[in-house]
Amino acid sequence: MAKQVLSFTLNDVDTEVLVQPYVTLLDALREDLALTGPKEGCGTGDCGACTVHLDGKPVASCLVLAMQARGRSVRTIEGLGRFDALHPLQDAFVRLGVPQCGFCIPGVLMAAAALLAENPHPTEKEIRYGIAGNLCRCTGYTKMLAAITEVAGAAPARRA
Amino acid sequence: MATTMKTTRDVKGVGLSIPRPDGPEKVTGQVQYVADLKPRGLLHAKLLRSPHAHARIVSIDTSRARVLPGVRAVITAADIPQLKRKAPTRAHAVLAIDRVVFVGQPVAAVAADELAIAEEALDLIDVRYEVLPAAVDPLQSMKPGAPPVAEAGTEADTSEALAHGSVSGVTTETKPAKAVNISQQAKLGRGDVAKGFAESDVVIEKTYRIPMVHQGYLEPHAVLAQWDTNGQLTLWASTQGSFNTRSEVAEVLELPENTIKVIPMECGGGFGGKIRALCEPITAVLARVTGRPVRYVMTRREELEAGNPAPQVIIRLKSGVKRDGTLMALEAETVIESGAFSGAVLAVSSVFLASLYLWPAFEVRGFEVLTHKPSIAAYRAPVAPHTIFAIDSHMEQIALVLGMDPVEFRLRHLQSEGKPMANNQPWLNNGAIEVLQRIAEHPLWKNRAQWKASGENGRLRGTGLALGGWLGGLQPTGATVRLNPDGSLQVLTGQVDIAGTNIALAQIAASAYGVDIDKVKITTGDTDVAPVTGLSAGSKTIYTVGVAVMEAAKNARQQTLEIAAKEMEAAVQDLEIENERVVVRGVPDRGVTLAQIGKKGNLYMSKVPPVLGVSHPAFSQQAPAFCAELARIEVDPDTGEVTIHDFVVVQDVGKAINPLGVEGQMQGGAVQSIGMALTEALTFDDQGRLTNPSLLDYKKLTAADLPNIETIIVEKPAPAGPFGARGVGEPPIVPAPAALANAVHDATGVRLTELPLTPERIALAMARSSR
Repeated sequence: MAKQVLSFTLNDVDTEVLVQPYVTLLDALREDLALTGPKEGCGTGDCGACTVHLDGKPVASCLVLAMQARGRSVRTIEGLGRFDALHPLQDAFVRLGVPQCGFCIPGVLMAAAALLAENPHPTEKEIRYGIAGNLCRCTGYTKMLAAITEVAGAAPARRA
Repeated sequence: MATTMKTTRDVKGVGLSIPRPDGPEKVTGQVQYVADLKPRGLLHAKLLRSPHAHARIVSIDTSRARVLPGVRAVITAADIPQLKRKAPTRAHAVLAIDRVVFVGQPVAAVAADELAIAEEALDLIDVRYEVLPAAVDPLQSMKPGAPPVAEAGTEADTSEALAHGSVSGVTTETKPAKAVNISQQAKLGRGDVAKGFAESDVVIEKTYRIPMVHQGYLEPHAVLAQWDTNGQLTLWASTQGSFNTRSEVAEVLELPENTIKVIPMECGGGFGGKIRALCEPITAVLARVTGRPVRYVMTRREELEAGNPAPQVIIRLKSGVKRDGTLMALEAETVIESGAFSGAVLAVSSVFLASLYLWPAFEVRGFEVLTHKPSIAAYRAPVAPHTIFAIDSHMEQIALVLGMDPVEFRLRHLQSEGKPMANNQPWLNNGAIEVLQRIAEHPLWKNRAQWKASGENGRLRGTGLALGGWLGGLQPTGATVRLNPDGSLQVLTGQVDIAGTNIALAQIAASAYGVDIDKVKITTGDTDVAPVTGLSAGSKTIYTVGVAVMEAAKNARQQTLEIAAKEMEAAVQDLEIENERVVVRGVPDRGVTLAQIGKKGNLYMSKVPPVLGVSHPAFSQQAPAFCAELARIEVDPDTGEVTIHDFVVVQDVGKAINPLGVEGQMQGGAVQSIGMALTEALTFDDQGRLTNPSLLDYKKLTAADLPNIETIIVEKPAPAGPFGARGVGEPPIVPAPAALANAVHDATGVRLTELPLTPERIALAMARSSR
């Protein structure tokens, strides 16, 4: 099959790349654009490790064809904050000791960032549902909640 | 080791909550896992897997697949001369030879330019099978006449048990009995069980059943293999033990160990599932055949269908007690379904059944049974949650039948240091009593009657707790600590950091040597450069590698002081390390900096040796670790759905080297076993096919399913642990299923003995009990 030109905005940069028309956005990012921050944990949209923003909304990039991103804006974990200038969520995750194995973390951060962009002061329940599409097997989510709550400036309500 | 050395008091090290230094890499997506590696010339591998649980392979025709453009290799068992019919482990069964023994067993392998081409090639391989009867239920499979799983004469594999806390004094029998699928047996007994039952006032008999569950690590198994022109193999692996991976691959492929280098990449979760080699040997073969780097990444479906899950465990307990609460006799039978290959931790489970509470007479029989299902492996305190689910549910029922306080009843019969275990070894120092007492003081326990009475609109409320633990593993290990020319420290081990252990090891080095943590760098080396280190398993990384790092740091400190003593013409015992200087005690002006000493060890023509602290200990003393957990829940009486309102973990960690990391372990372990308790099960049909091969159908808990997990750390020092630390990783996964079953009983009055505690099971049990 002939490759096609995918032109889109990737982490604020105009980008063009040749991709097979059958590849997912996740595979195009990882294999063709060398952005390996988004992870494949299941390939079926159930684990959330591949979460990126498509026009600002969180999507499972394993369920989106790369060509569906044509002319649109994609943000990955690599475009959330830089190593030397972390996004407040990234900073809170590090300080509060959230990451263990780390495999789910890029997806969780993208989901949390999208949540806070839409709802800057979520309740605890809204945070829990905001990251309910992201499976984590290491942390039990407790420290994740603390970090997102801190950034949101939300009162640490016991339960919504 | 000189006795004059003491830990420098004001050093920033052990006991501080310090975030992991790899945090920034992890939150920016920069940390590299195997699947993130893409060397030039990379080929992608796929495996053709059996659709049948048990079948004879009549023929395999790969000719159409071989000619597909982009395909670089198609191999079958016939292409790997090292393969043996009597494969002792799953790793040895690289590809099926002439019989498949579980759905998902690899039959052929492809390497191609693109993953899509490799997938297409699988469709072009023609395999003809003659389907054979399958043994899919362990209780049927252990009977004489069941369809055989292993080739006759295959030896049982008990190596897994060693990493997780081996026990002695158990009569184990690994020769196949008449029942061909019983691969291991254990037997323990003491006293007159028949007499004990005859003299009992109350006899309770229940069978507890826990299905196969998957460890659930988010990163599927992955490996990258590449050979160089000198015949040296490099494996980039997602493993819990790079030296173990090297040994297994060397053995299976009959290679000298020093021709293999295993580079442990960041491990995206293991929990016991990434101890044994799984796809490393076949990937190495494909790389050798093609002369190209080959990457293999399992899909989630392959993980669920053909990973190495935790076993199904069926435990029958029959107990006899007196009205006054005196324990009289226990009869236990445990069946561990090991799937297609042997490897279950049978003896420890059998010992625990009759050791945690002190039964004067007992008889325990244990069986490992093979079935035509994926073979099992460890899962965080292997079979401990299962064993404790049975023991603790049982103790709770006895207490309630006798009308006794369940905590007091447990405490009355609970083991303590020096008391005999079922195998007649003495219990070692442990904090079981302390954690149980501590959780019983928790307001959520004290106020459980108010909580139970507070349910509105028919909602049922309840509270449950349970006590569990494990013996803790041991394995020889090694570490080095070097002093750099700038006065910083360099720690090297081969230990894979799957749990935040590297920061804790660095803290141990800082405190033992006498510098602040920010002066310590720790590296996990590959198998070519690192000192031999054991598995990251069995809650033993800090307990054993921590000792190696501590002793290596003390050794480096001693060398540093000896060099300084010569420089300063002072006695070693008069020196101490303060603010990165070696000074004479009480004379802070007289000193030499660590950087000066480090530099002299690295100067041309220098006569000062470089500081290289080394330690490579072996161990004999385990440190049992205990944990108590409490769940405050609500049950919907119509649907049977459980909502957890609060969950508390109280754990004895000996000494929290890094409390932040310890809390994370406690919270994560608890949530894994809450999943085991409420939602998780690999379900198979009567042909041995998995019926829930996706994460949509295999339900893991999300943030929306859970409350915050409260952690209470108890520190009862382990006599042989570094700074008193004992194992942390495994205990928190142990008590939750029993705690939740006890809470469900408190709320609803029904006792469930089969996991998971699904809404259907709870609602049906409630409907039956109200009839």
